[in-house]
Order: sequence, then C-alpha cells, then structure tokens
Amino acid sequence: MNALKSKWKLVTLAALVVLAAASVLATTATARSSASTIKIAVLSDCQGAFGSFDNQDMAGVVTAMAQFAGAKAKNPNKPRDGWTGGSINGHPLKLVGVGCSNDRADTAIKETKRLMEQLGADILIGPLSGDESIAVANYAKQHPNKTFVDGSAGAQDTTLKVRAPNFFRFNGDGAMWNAGLGDLAHNKLGWKTAAVIADDYSFAWTSAAGFIAEFCAVGGNVTKRVFPPLNTTDYSSYAQQMPTNVDGTFVAVGGAGLIPFLKAYEQAHGPIDGKKFIGNLFWGTPGQFEQLSTRVAGAYVGGAGTAGDLATKAAKAYNAQVGKVFKTIPPYGAAAPQAASTFTYGFYVNTWGLLAGLKANGGNIAGGQKSLQAAIKKVRLATPYGPLYLDKNNQAVINVFYQQLYEKGGKLAVKTVGEIPGVTQTFGGTFSSSTPAPGRTNPKCVKRSLPWIGKTIHPPVTG
Amino acid sequence: MTRITPDRVVGIGALVLAVIAPFIVSSYWVGALLTQMLFLGIVAASLIFLSAYGGMISLAQVAVYGIAGFVVGNATTNGNTKGLNLGWNPWWGVIAGIAIAVGVGLLFGALASRSVGIYFLMITLTYSVIANLTFGQVTDVSGFGGISGIPAPGAIGRVEAHQNRLYYVALVAAFLVYLLLRYVARTPFGLTLQGVRDDPIRMASLGYNVNLHRTIAFGFASFVASIGGVLFVWWNGHIDPASIDLGATIDVLVIAVIGGLYRLEGAWVGALFFVIVNNYSQQISFIGPRFHTLIGAIFLLIVLVSPGGLVGLWERALELASGTHKEPSDRTPIEVGPVESHV
Repeated sequence: MNALKSKWKLVTLAALVVLAAASVLATTATARSSASTIKIAVLSDCQGAFGSFDNQDMAGVVTAMAQFAGAKAKNPNKPRDGWTGGSINGHPLKLVGVGCSNDRADTAIKETKRLMEQLGADILIGPLSGDESIAVANYAKQHPNKTFVDGSAGAQDTTLKVRAPNFFRFNGDGAMWNAGLGDLAHNKLGWKTAAVIADDYSFAWTSAAGFIAEFCAVGGNVTKRVFPPLNTTDYSSYAQQMPTNVDGTFVAVGGAGLIPFLKAYEQAHGPIDGKKFIGNLFWGTPGQFEQLSTRVAGAYVGGAGTAGDLATKAAKAYNAQVGKVFKTIPPYGAAAPQAASTFTYGFYVNTWGLLAGLKANGGNIAGGQKSLQAAIKKVRLATPYGPLYLDKNNQAVINVFYQQLYEKGGKLAVKTVGEIPGVTQTFGGTFSSSTPAPGRTNPKCVKRSLPWIGKTIHPPVTG
Repeated sequence: MTRITPDRVVGIGALVLAVIAPFIVSSYWVGALLTQMLFLGIVAASLIFLSAYGGMISLAQVAVYGIAGFVVGNATTNGNTKGLNLGWNPWWGVIAGIAIAVGVGLLFGALASRSVGIYFLMITLTYSVIANLTFGQVTDVSGFGGISGIPAPGAIGRVEAHQNRLYYVALVAAFLVYLLLRYVARTPFGLTLQGVRDDPIRMASLGYNVNLHRTIAFGFASFVASIGGVLFVWWNGHIDPASIDLGATIDVLVIAVIGGLYRLEGAWVGALFFVIVNNYSQQISFIGPRFHTLIGAIFLLIVLVSPGGLVGLWERALELASGTHKEPSDRTPIEVGPVESHV
C-alpha cells in the first residue's frame, strides 16, 4: 500500500515539474519587446562550404548599421558579436539573433523559423548562398507581414522565379556578376571552345549560366559541362573529366572546394596556365584568392558587382568605412582589404537598402510592414560601385566588374580591368520568368545579341 | 475492468496536455516545437517498432520518410521550384507518397531480411546513403536545393496562418499510429514477429517464413515512417537531400535511444527532449552551433546511465518508489523485448 502511495507521489511530482517547465518555456517564448523597437535578425553561414565567410557577412551588416543608423560594433575584432545602439527615426534597431546555416536550404529554413518565429524578428537579413535564398524567399512568400532582404546569395530563381513581394535583393545574381566574361573570352582571348565546371547547385548553375549565355551569344561553343556536388572534398574524378582540347575553362567551383579542385586539376593535367582559365567570383574574393598562389596568375575573374581597387572617392570611402568599424575580420585578418568581398559587400548593400527604406518611411513597421516594403521597393542607392535600383521583381540592377589575377612581389594580386554598367537580371533578354532555370543543361548554347558586347569600360583603378 | 496504473495516468495526462497545448503555450511552441515533436516521434516510433518487436535496428527510416516527402513535393508543387511540379491535389500526393514509400520499404526489407545485427544496420545505413545521394544527384526530382513551396491540403490551409490545424492533424496521426503499433504487436503477426526476433531458427523450424515476416514488418514500419514524412513536408514546406542526410538519420536514432528503444512512448518522449534541447541550446552562446556535441554527450550519458532511455528512467523511478526494483536494469530490447503490460 505504501509502495502504491509512493508511486502516485512520483506521478504528481512529475506532473508538477512538466507543468512548471512548460509554463516557463512558454513564457520565454511569448516575451515581447516594446512596440517601437525594430527587431532584426541576420542569417549567415557559420558552417559548410562558406562557413569561413561568416564574419565577413556580419561585418557588412554592422558596417551599414554604423554608417546609416548610428550603431556601434560590439567588438571591432569580431563582427559576429553584432552591434549596439542604432536607430531609425527614434526606433531602436535591435539584433535579436544571428542564424548559423551551412549552405543547405533545409538548415536555412530551420534557422529562419527560429529567428522569425521564436525570437520574433520583424526583418531578416540573409542568407549567404543560392539554394538557401530560394528557400527563404519561398518562406517570405508565406509570411507577407515580415520583410526579408538578401545577404549575398546569387541564385537566379530567388527573384526571377519565386518573386516574393516582401523579399528584396540589392546584390546581383551569379549570372549578372559574370557579364562581360564571354565577350572577353571569345573576342579578346580568342577562345572558340570552352569547358565549364561548376558546383552542382543553384548559385553555381546561375554563375555558369552567365558565362555560357554570353560566350555562346558571341559565337563560342561550350563543349563540356561538369558539375561536382557542393562540399566535394576529392575532385580528382571531376578534374579527369575536364577536356584539354578546348581553348579555355570556366571554373565556378566555390568556397572550400576551389583550392582542392585546382590541386586535383594540376595532378590530372599538369601546371595551370592562368590565361586559359576564367574563374567566378571566388577567384577574387578577398581572404580567399591570396591562397590560390601565383600558379593562376593571368587568369580573369568574374566579380560580384565589386571592385576593391576602384579609384573613385565612393569606393575608397567604403573601404575606409569598413576599416573604421572593424580592425580585423576573422579568420582572414585586416578588415579594410576585405571590404570588397562578395560577402562583406553583399550584406552591407542589402542592409543599406533596408535602412534606406526604413528611413524613407520613418521606421514604420506597422500595418503588416506594407509601407516599409513599398518604401524599400523605391530605394535607389549611390553605392561605392555605381548606381543601383530595384526592378519589378525586387532584384537590383547594378554595374558589374571583372578582374585579372597577376603576380606582384611574388604574391598573387587582383586588379579590376572591365566594367559593364546597368546589368539587369534578364541578361540582355536572355532570361525571364518563363525561361528554364539555370541547371546542368541550361542555358543552351545559342548565338544572340547582347547590349554590352564590345562596350566594356576600363574603370580607373588604384595601384 | 481496466486497471489504473501510474503509466496510464501519465499517458492520459500527456494526451490531455497535448490536446490543450494550443491554449496554454505560445504559437511558436505549438507550430514549431510540438508539431515537430509529433512527426519526429512518428518516425522514431517506426524505428522502435522494428527494434523492439522485430529485433531490427533500422537506419533506413529517415530515407523512407524522405521518399514520401519528396514524392509529395514533386506531386503537389506547381511552378517555381525544382522537381517535377506535377501540381496534383495534395491528397493524391499523400496517397502516392505513402504508396511509393511503402513499396520501396518492402523492397528494402526484402533485401535486408536475411541479415541480422550489425549487417542489418549496415545495409539500412546504405539505404539511407543511397536515398540521400539519389535525391542530391537526380535534379529532375530534387537536386541539391530541393523542393520549396510544398502546400498542405486545403483543409489544413496555409500552415503559417493556421498552425493549430497542422498540430492537431499531427496529434491525431501520432495517436492513431501509437494505437496501431500497439494493436499490430498483439496480432498473430506481431506475436510471430516477436518469435522471429527471439529465435528465428526455431520459428523457421515451426514453419514460419522468417524473411517474409521481417519484410512485411519493414514495409509496415515504412508506412508509419512515411506518415511522418508527409507531415514533415507540410510543416516545413520544403525538403532537400540535407533533410535526409546522415545527420538526420542519426538524429532519429538518437531520439529513439534517448526516449527508450523498447517502449513506443519513448519515441515521443525522446522527440520532445531532442526538439527542446536543439531549439534552446542554440541560445546558449558557448553551445550555439555545437548542438550535436551536446546531444552526443547526452546520448552517451543516457546509454551509460539508463539503456532504457528516459522512459527507462521513469520505470526505474517507479520501481524504486514502490520497492519492486527488478534486475537486470540494463536489459536491451533485442534480448528482452517489450513486456506485455508496457505496450
């Protein structure tokens, strides 16, 4: 009988513990902050192929917050710690959380849910990479009362296909960023045939699509396309597949995969001749390109709408601004030289676009944020790299730059050699919401006319 | 007359709490954590069923759940996402998803039915890897980025706007799955399966087709796992190969072990524990992205302290309270299996 009583005491105790825990957790989950505070979350990649650029992402966000909203970096040597202070029209801008994704859409969605639904963010800045952004844009569509601005993701589908009215992208897509490269390869370097290798996911497909569309448009022929999965560590079988009987190779292998691929290529085919290679933005990303070594000197590089050596007042001021807010951006060292990274600049310009929209509507996020979303849509920015505005799909129209790698004092350096102004996502009429999304077999190799062919500008650069 | 036991009172109490949860906890808890707990619990229950009654610890349950999810995604999306974009009615998608997942499960089961122990584990791990790589490589049905914008049926509506609806659907599904698994375990098929688990050679000599029973059990567990997969894609609106990668496979195994590998209730207990730790540990700065290190440490602790998982701890507490402590306390499901009064 006593044993039975003890059992029931245990049941009662367990029930009380469960109820207490549930009420505590429920209370923390429903906590709300004051109405005037604007709660902002950032979705970055702290793991996966692009995990090493995590601090560049946050450096971009915090630099814009400091420059346009009076915020201050919490730690000048660790951007991930976020900012303090900062307001728009008296509305404090509170960082409620920084998501840790890993280039996978599934993780990005989980983190977005945590940031928006558990931490109650009003606005999300991010994500970093292509497929993540497609998933987040779809999530945005389901949450019309919240506002989303991209981080640095460049998949075409994000804005051209998904077209969420509350998702805004102030950076270009991967294809736009490669404008000018096909013209360069065919008409300056004399390539008639080319092979393409790209990571097997949306951003790299988009990046390759820009090169393929333009190279074929001017009369070139892409004879081989190879797509290793993202996060591949051993590229030897893919390097073996690359033909050597072509005039050149376009490489859109990014993040942690680029250097292993180049090593595998050298093992398969001997030393790399830089002039027979064009890389996408990862070949020129500050923090990474220094590790490529001089073996790739001479190679041309597609940009990300950035040009760190641009000799304009605005570009220099932007570099200085990043250096003013942060001393270092781990793990790559000094902050200012990393200002032109796709990730630093992408998160910077998207945050800037958001803040410009908030300023225009007085920081009003009431009414399902419709007023804010309408204000963001009209934002025009005079960015360090030229004028920027959004098209009907909330996608930026931007100036695009391409660079060349060269040897300087025994080290690899990068200089900007070409500029294409006003590139749109339609890529001169090549892409639309009804054309097949970039993929392993799209776009097809078709000759056509593009508005910027033969009109590349050579911008003034420093050094 | 049904005897009132502490187990039953706690079970009914948990069910009542689950029913009234939308009125006492936040919408985030209902929409994100509890719904996730329910469908992860369903998948873990399919694993526990195979383990406890069939002696088969399967690592293929997440693969099967993913197959159902990908089929629903391909069948019901319509437009701007990867995959086939067939645009079917969501209910047809559910039927197709479950049917194909069960078909593949039967095939998996037939191929693995002659193996036991570590070899069975390795074969089912292979299934998991095959499913992950297939959906990652075949861009016609998914590719790396997966399928987004998967709709729930009209009766559930937009999940974000009506979180309680999907929660209650998941709750009913979980409850029915629990009852079904209990029922099947007591049918002649379930009893035969337990015989196969305990002594397959003797069962074969008695004239039972051991491999057929194992295959059917695998197919049945696939049916249960596929229900979890359907609920997952409705809840998430998205599925990609990372949803069914090795990490996800291990997560479900961890849920089952933490909850308790020899009692069905352990599936949902483990899932609730896992979901809460996963969610709230992210806010602790020194843990943050190191969630898997934390859950690994907890897993180790549970295995060392209570091989029966959290449910095992509860049982032990009851035994201690009533002074009826039984040995051995470190029984394993395969050696001992479920006690009738427990399930």
